[in-house]
Amino acid sequence: MTELKGGALLEARQVVVRFGGLEAVGGLDMAVARGAIHGLIGPNGAGKTTVLNVLTGFIRPTAGRLVFDGEEIGGLNVNGFARRGLARTFQNIRLFGAMTVLESVLVGAHQRFSASAPALIFGGRAARTAERAMIARAHELLDFVGLRHDIADRVATTLSYGHQRRVEIARALMSSPKLLLLDEPLAGMNAVEKQEIAELVRQVRAQGIAVLLIEHDMQIVRSLCDHLTVLEYGKLLADGAPERVLSDPAVQAAYLGRAR
Amino acid sequence: MDYFGQLLANGLVLGAIYALTAVAFTLVYGVVRLVNFAFGELFMLGAFLTTSLMLPEVRLFGTVVPMPGFPLPIAALGAIVITGVIGVVVDRIAYRPLRNAPRLAPLITSIAVSVVLQSLAQTAWGAEELRFPQFYLATLPPVVLFDSIYLSVMDLVVMATAIVAMLGLSLFIARSSLGRAMRASAEDQTAAMLVGIPVNRVVAAAFAIGSGFAALAGLLYAQTYGFAHSSMGFLPGLKALTAAVLGGIGSIPGAALGGLILGLVEALGAGYLPNGTAWKDAISFVLLVGLLYLRPQGLLGRPELNSAGRGSLLGGASEAGAFWLRAVFARVDALLARFAAAGAPAALGLLAIAIVVGTLVPSDYWLRILTMVVIYGMLASGLNVIVGFAGLLDLGFVAFWAVGSYLTSILFVLVLKESYGVAPQEVWWLLYLNLPLGGLLAAGLAVLLGTPTLRLRGDYLAIMTLGFGEIVRVVAINWMDLTRGPMGIRGIPAPNLFGISLGSPRAQFFFALALAAVVVFAVARLVRSYVGRAWVAIREDEEAAEAMGVPTARYKLYAYAASGFVGGFVGVFYAHSQQYISPLNFSLFENILLLMLVVLGGLGTFIGPFVGALIWIVFLQLALDLPFVQAYPETRFALLGVVLIVLMVFRPQGLAASARVGLTMPGARAKEAA
Repeated sequence: MTELKGGALLEARQVVVRFGGLEAVGGLDMAVARGAIHGLIGPNGAGKTTVLNVLTGFIRPTAGRLVFDGEEIGGLNVNGFARRGLARTFQNIRLFGAMTVLESVLVGAHQRFSASAPALIFGGRAARTAERAMIARAHELLDFVGLRHDIADRVATTLSYGHQRRVEIARALMSSPKLLLLDEPLAGMNAVEKQEIAELVRQVRAQGIAVLLIEHDMQIVRSLCDHLTVLEYGKLLADGAPERVLSDPAVQAAYLGRAR
Repeated sequence: MDYFGQLLANGLVLGAIYALTAVAFTLVYGVVRLVNFAFGELFMLGAFLTTSLMLPEVRLFGTVVPMPGFPLPIAALGAIVITGVIGVVVDRIAYRPLRNAPRLAPLITSIAVSVVLQSLAQTAWGAEELRFPQFYLATLPPVVLFDSIYLSVMDLVVMATAIVAMLGLSLFIARSSLGRAMRASAEDQTAAMLVGIPVNRVVAAAFAIGSGFAALAGLLYAQTYGFAHSSMGFLPGLKALTAAVLGGIGSIPGAALGGLILGLVEALGAGYLPNGTAWKDAISFVLLVGLLYLRPQGLLGRPELNSAGRGSLLGGASEAGAFWLRAVFARVDALLARFAAAGAPAALGLLAIAIVVGTLVPSDYWLRILTMVVIYGMLASGLNVIVGFAGLLDLGFVAFWAVGSYLTSILFVLVLKESYGVAPQEVWWLLYLNLPLGGLLAAGLAVLLGTPTLRLRGDYLAIMTLGFGEIVRVVAINWMDLTRGPMGIRGIPAPNLFGISLGSPRAQFFFALALAAVVVFAVARLVRSYVGRAWVAIREDEEAAEAMGVPTARYKLYAYAASGFVGGFVGVFYAHSQQYISPLNFSLFENILLLMLVVLGGLGTFIGPFVGALIWIVFLQLALDLPFVQAYPETRFALLGVVLIVLMVFRPQGLAASARVGLTMPGARAKEAA
């Protein structure tokens, strides 16, 4: 990863994850550059989601270090990861039941509220201003991800699948992250929707937010990502620019099966 | 040594009984991951049925019914079979429809089933003890060991029965095909179903066997202590649950080990600790709480059992429910939705109506009842913060209520009046200081008790909070110097403002109403902000909330604190309103009742707790005019339990579900409408 030194926003060094006797990730080194759209790919069971869970604090690695924005973050709680500027979505959408779209998105801004309980109860001016600002920001983000305003008061889990994905992205962006991690954001979408989400990812990057995404659609990955990391059996198989990585015979073998 | 030996023998008998009941908990938990609180009541039914079958005649529902007068073994067998059938029926009606529901649903249902069974037993057999008839083995002279340890023949029978029953069950599970099916279902229900195991039948078998074991334990208990009573299953049930958790719930050897340890610890503790008999219940619960904190999976259990599925009772589609219920509720729902949408004006309107009612109601009797409605509504609102909004089942909430009540009573009566001779009228202002003070003290206790529960989820959380609640109650009973113990504290002054007594029922009603306005306002302000959003996010998906930057541990403690504050705050007023408090006011049953009121009214709404309290307390009084209820007052509780079971199956969000609470600050959204 020497080529990325200095530019790296997130670095994983020699990360190992073991579940009992199973080694799900074995000594992985990877780095996400600032402002990059970074693809994490690999065949089923390669450990992509495990890596994403490590990078967001959901799984504490058995060994290895995580450095984000120059700070060691390996020992933090999940909310600590979020507070440092790592926001994520989930492979199976995890919106909060019984909450409206607006409320769900506002949860993403949790760390940006600071009013004390008395200030909330007695109606402090600052508390109200903060709430108002965040509601305005939530509406901007709903716009940004391509959702109409009139769904803001619908219960989020009653929306269509595609809309739920967008709400989840808006919720993640609400924390003003430095890095957005998307776990298969295009899964289950048709070609048009895929292009729309890909465009959305580019716009996110245009705002200076780096994106790490897991994806299976190689056409999209090729056109969208600046950098690819390929996993196989929890180990690094290839890493680099998409064109180079995707033409790597080892990567092709991993996807298509090896010639006998 | 002799004394020790005797205690050891007593402990073994008690341990055998706990172990048998613990097997019931563990077997059913192992197969369906449900803590069936109702096993304590099946234990009680086993005792009653055996006793009844052994007698020549029994008074049932007030009439004398001839009975066969079987000898103990036949009566026991009959009782075990009948209880087993009851267990299966309960599973079929109350639990099976909830197999895929959020974990809170079957847990609350099992509590409701408990209430139903206990009330029905009291209706059938009456409130008095039923004496256990002498069996001829019990008349034999005791066996003397080492010249000094006396063991009755029946004690030996109890131990032998327990050993045989547990070995038999272990063999059954290890060898029989049904046992194999049980183990498979315990590992993975879906997979078991896919390979053709009739999971529903396996679960029914687990309930039948578990209920049989509970009945066996109950009848042995009744035999040992010589009586059956409708509330006898409550404490042994909790102890057995403790034993099951101690051993590692889901593990049968664990249940045996846990029961034995608990029986011995309790017997030895009662024998050796100063004033040990009084504290022996606390010993078990301290053990339980300590264990859950240090090793939640128990001695022989597996760690993954301390987990909870995602989602809450409120997260599901609120349109669900039986069609007839939907028809009934459609109109109410529309009204409530409009009410909730109106927000503050609607709340003020409701307050105005309450004021008019309070002014016009002529009878003191009804004013007192309405005051109780407001008090229970407030308490339920406090419980609602932790259960309804944060989604954490708290069975120790009454402790906070008790703290507020005792704080003000001790200060006014024991300290000022009796130690310093200060008349309450001279320090009338102290009440207004005590209200927030009681709240803060209770909030502090809530944080203290909440901290060790942070790692626990679902069922274990409920069990631990229950343990805390019981510890506080046992302390209140036994710390005579501070609380006057079971005698309670009398002569607590009525509320007073600038020397004017507010003791009249009407004044008290308005006092309560003012406090309720404060409570609802404060809770609403917290809920309709980022704090409330964090709570609901935790309730719906704790991991996702954490990933959004919510420090979930801290916000759970905030929920405990807010809930505790309301409990303590209301507790202070409660003491002055009742003018007499005793530990009986703060039993686990009160906690269960409050929980039922919140669920009845609607978890996670502001109006729900008051709706639940109003319906229940007014019904409680009105039903007294019915001759049937006059004869059997407990049937009212049975009805509440039944209503709750029906609600859990068809409408878990409660009656006022559509009064959905917005989670954004009201004023902050006014402008963006344009």
